Amino acid sequence: MKQTTEIEEVPMELLAEPLDWFFAEHYRHRQLCQMIDEISAATVFDGERIGRVVAFLAHDLALHVIDEEEDFFPLLRRRCRPEDEVEGVLGMLSAEHRADVAKASQVSDLLKTCLLKETAPGLDPARRKILSEFASQERRHLGLENAVILPIARLRLDADDLATLGRRLAARRGRVLHEPSA
Amino acid sequence: MTQALFRRNLAWAAARARDDRNYFPDLAAQEAPDYLWIGCADSHLPAHDLTGLAPGQLFVHRNLANLAPAQDSNFLSVLQYALEVLKVRHVIVCGHYGCGGVRAALSGARHGLVDHWLQPVRSLFWRHAEELEAILDVEARVNHLCEHNVIEQVISLAGNPLAHDAWRRGQPLAVHGWIYSIHDGLLRDLETTVSDLHQARALAGAPTGGEPRRKAARTRS
Repeated sequence: MKQTTEIEEVPMELLAEPLDWFFAEHYRHRQLCQMIDEISAATVFDGERIGRVVAFLAHDLALHVIDEEEDFFPLLRRRCRPEDEVEGVLGMLSAEHRADVAKASQVSDLLKTCLLKETAPGLDPARRKILSEFASQERRHLGLENAVILPIARLRLDADDLATLGRRLAARRGRVLHEPSA
Repeated sequence: MTQALFRRNLAWAAARARDDRNYFPDLAAQEAPDYLWIGCADSHLPAHDLTGLAPGQLFVHRNLANLAPAQDSNFLSVLQYALEVLKVRHVIVCGHYGCGGVRAALSGARHGLVDHWLQPVRSLFWRHAEELEAILDVEARVNHLCEHNVIEQVISLAGNPLAHDAWRRGQPLAVHGWIYSIHDGLLRDLETTVSDLHQARALAGAPTGGEPRRKAARTRS
């Protein structure tokens, strides 16, 4: 029987180490891409797995874009030095986020149609193309974030930055990380 | 249609009185607030919700794009009353990501009278054009300009004679620049807090020999 990919959960304790959290989240997004590739290649309808991808795109991906666009990236812009030349990269990544969200909505719509009709998306070449384009775009984006953004963040964000960032990541997920008592 | 609002008002007032019989007496007896909040007219979340304070604990002024214009008599009246009568200890300029006013200023399109109000935001964009144009995505660019706009208003307040008078009187006063996102309701400190005349002068660009403004003013939220 062929092995299938699942999307693992990130332990909530990792919220206290936000850069590790982002790295783990990126790993989950790669698992999503793998899952999309498998769904795209399959000719047998698997409603449960398609439903998991739809849910991930609706909740996890949307939350991750807010984490980065309205928290992590603005913080980096404030902390990085001119010689880091981070503006261009962040500007490009923001554009990619927008493209990801648009593409994710397209992917989500087509998968919902497949769920409704109980058909495998892999049977339609046009749908396969959309799924594959999304997965490729997402992988490129994650690669750039891991290779450029996370290393710069490790260099420029200090312990207080990471603690406040972690608290906001947690709050966005309905959790309160308490400040360590002095 | 507006009758529905009166019906809701009755229901709300009755619920408050039922849940806490001291709610309105406490509100009426409240002392002067410690905070002046300068927020955007377009923002979706009330300041007291964001801060977890009771309604009377914040003195609120709102206008399009949360500006603190030194020539606006409405704003100046609020500021003077807050500083001289209420003696607030904190003035908070709070913007929000995705601000419609900032977006309008960035668009370059003609919107009418509001373009005059938003002219300072447009000028701010021109001053930071190189940096902002590196951000290809329009939404991210708007958000970054929203941050710049908050910081600019803190700079304007730091140079305002009413604030200077308060500091000269020895009145405790800190001016803060914050921003929040409607997507998560979380406040972010933009680290521009000024709490004395020396810092205010440094922030406004006067030669003081002090540290650069953002670093010197860095605080945590």
